[in-house]
Amino acid sequence: MTAWKESAGGERALTILRSRPFLTVAIVAAVWIVASFVSRGFGAYGHLRYLVELGAVIGLVAAGQTFVVIAGGIDLSVAAIVTVSAVSLPLLSWQADPTGITAILAVLVLTTAIGLVNGLGVALLRVHPMIMTLAMATFLQGLLIIIAGGSAVTAENPLVHWLGNARPVGIPAGVLLWVAVSVIVLTMMHATSFGARIFAMGANPLAASLSGVPVASTTLAVYGISGSCSGLAGVLVLGMNGQGYVGIGDPYLLASIAAVVLGGTSILGGLGTYAGTIPGAILLVTITALITVVNASPGWRSILFGSLILGLLLLSGREQARR
Amino acid sequence: MAPILAARGVSKSFFGNPVLRDVSIALQPGRVHALLGENGAGKSTLINLLSGALRPDGGTIEVDGRAVSRMNPAIARQAGIAVVQQELSLTASLSIAENIGLGAYPRRFGLVDYNELAARARAACNLVGLHEPLSTPVGHLSLGRRQMVEIAKALYRRPRVLILDEPTSSLSATETKILTDLLERLRGEGIAILYISHRLNEVMTLCQHVTVLKDGTCTADRSLEGTDAAGLVRLMVGRDPGDLFPRWQPSASPANAISVRSFSAGLMRDVDLDIRRGEVIGIGGLVGQGQEDLLLGLYGAIPARTASATVNGVSGLPGGVPKANALGLAYVPADRKREGLHLIHPIITNMMLPAFARLPALKLRSRRAERETATGLAAQLGIKGDLARPAQALSGGNQQKVALAKWMPHDPLVLLLNDPTRGVDVETKREIYHMLRNFAAAGKAVVLLSSDTPELVHLCDRVAVVREGRIVAMLERGALSEEAIVSAAMGAEQRKVAA
Repeated sequence: MTAWKESAGGERALTILRSRPFLTVAIVAAVWIVASFVSRGFGAYGHLRYLVELGAVIGLVAAGQTFVVIAGGIDLSVAAIVTVSAVSLPLLSWQADPTGITAILAVLVLTTAIGLVNGLGVALLRVHPMIMTLAMATFLQGLLIIIAGGSAVTAENPLVHWLGNARPVGIPAGVLLWVAVSVIVLTMMHATSFGARIFAMGANPLAASLSGVPVASTTLAVYGISGSCSGLAGVLVLGMNGQGYVGIGDPYLLASIAAVVLGGTSILGGLGTYAGTIPGAILLVTITALITVVNASPGWRSILFGSLILGLLLLSGREQARR
Repeated sequence: MAPILAARGVSKSFFGNPVLRDVSIALQPGRVHALLGENGAGKSTLINLLSGALRPDGGTIEVDGRAVSRMNPAIARQAGIAVVQQELSLTASLSIAENIGLGAYPRRFGLVDYNELAARARAACNLVGLHEPLSTPVGHLSLGRRQMVEIAKALYRRPRVLILDEPTSSLSATETKILTDLLERLRGEGIAILYISHRLNEVMTLCQHVTVLKDGTCTADRSLEGTDAAGLVRLMVGRDPGDLFPRWQPSASPANAISVRSFSAGLMRDVDLDIRRGEVIGIGGLVGQGQEDLLLGLYGAIPARTASATVNGVSGLPGGVPKANALGLAYVPADRKREGLHLIHPIITNMMLPAFARLPALKLRSRRAERETATGLAAQLGIKGDLARPAQALSGGNQQKVALAKWMPHDPLVLLLNDPTRGVDVETKREIYHMLRNFAAAGKAVVLLSSDTPELVHLCDRVAVVREGRIVAMLERGALSEEAIVSAAMGAEQRKVAA
């Protein structure tokens, strides 16, 4: 009975138990169990399903963010891109297309293009990613105010409505979308050459480029992916909300970065996985839900949210010193 | 007379590898003491112990005959021990005066007294022949001038013990002369000097006493009188230097792998160069004369211009690393930690990176094929243990092997090597040398940039000597000798006299 630890299977089990994604899953489970005892109704299936549905939006934004962070950058324009997507989609309605899919595709093309511009600035003009994406966010915010003004726009798009409200096989469509995106993202990250390149770039860009990694085009691709992920999240949030307005994406900037870091991805780049970001996103919505239960004023809610994220990062998200 | 600074029977290990074993050294006032040894013999570790940067695992450090139990850099400074490091420690954006005084600024009413600083810095600069304005940022100076600032910085502290780690490797002939005269004078003033150099001629003229380290143990501690250079080499290497290198056999073919005319990149200007298949061509010269830019320019890693170029039958320069790789070029950088490897990533991913860079981006990886390739490479190179460990777990020599090996599955036609044996142990060196000769024998070209002159002499078919961004001499096999390379590297004056 003592021999199992030395066996390969036992070793693998230990590795998984010690891994950061698993730690985040464990924290989520612990919080759920404790909260369902403390607060009545928290542990109900309907409520947990609702949490995961909310987590899907963060999860989609954080999918792109995970790519960017692993590649050694950061995308501070995700919130603005979510808003661009949610505000511009209602404006793009064509009578000729009853399903509304062309409008969604057009929005995704637009947000991907915004991401590619970020990538161009970072890769070719060598602007620091923080400056480039923050400037892009400010630019988009201004543009949105001019186009949409202060009023909310209502989506008449049937596919968007379905995505935000339908529950095929009892599971929200948004969650199904998240599962599909997760499979694609995890495959790209860990099972393709492209994935290997972004890890190499993030760990040591100079060594990567001297090894023949096409750094410029890979950087471009990574920010493009982040743009399309945020665009997709904007479509989903519009469907769930029914209306788009300037500022609808604002919560997702801190949330996306926090989900990435809570999931164990190194903010310095080169190490990490989307498998950790997924429970990280669910953990964030869980915290938000708990704070709502506490019934504090909005100011105190923000203070609590910020402190809790810092606390959780101290618990699990500190960087190991690198030699 | 009692030595000012001494180590008695010191030992030091890193991560369980003993680097120094029971080494003793005594620095007497008014004596220039040479410390010799190959790369990795433990010289830098011994200096770090003497200057308090590291603490010995066993043995003692003595200052003025008294054992110091807790030696640290502050105590060393107080005792008047100054070190001129091999890797320059200056801050590029600060001025000459600020760099010289850094950490020991004279103060007046709690503020930095810049007048006093200027006066004392000027005095130190005059000693080493630095006549640039004191307000010049150090970043504007050449490597050799920076080295002189580093020495002035040590003198500013009025040391009793001066330790110099390869001070002349980046100096011109004139600067070297100024330094030797200065050291003679300091010796006369009763200062103890520890002098580390790979240039045996310098050691023979300047020093009176020698300590030789080999693989962390002391193999000689004696007066230099009655010793010749060949004897010193034998003490350092432990065998005849020839044994290290494979027997040289001609394998060059008349066909060119690379041919460039009026090639310029970085510091390099108007270079005409033909690199033949089947040859090992050496690139020599003093450090930082543009040799690296030549390799990087050919590799497409930095912008380059040329009147005409042919690379493996394709005309024009590659213009970008991926294109260079596609043309069969591979580059192994000098600084493997910063440029060659991904230290935090597994050994196996490091070995496979050039493959990932080349395959279609969305092609699915086959972990089994990766493992097979990597295990094969590891077996060939004698790298033992789990390949899933991060590359930083490997020793320097094995890291270098990984940096070289990752190109092998791609069968490159031209290997561009930037000082591949720097900081590598003797056994690994020998393996790398054999690999390179075998590579050439298979009809491929090796371009070997090296700061190790014997390596150039024994391994290469031809050596191009670079000085100030130009190839000043192309020495053929018959004319190859350390003297020929060094005199060409030192400058045109001597060559004109010779011609």
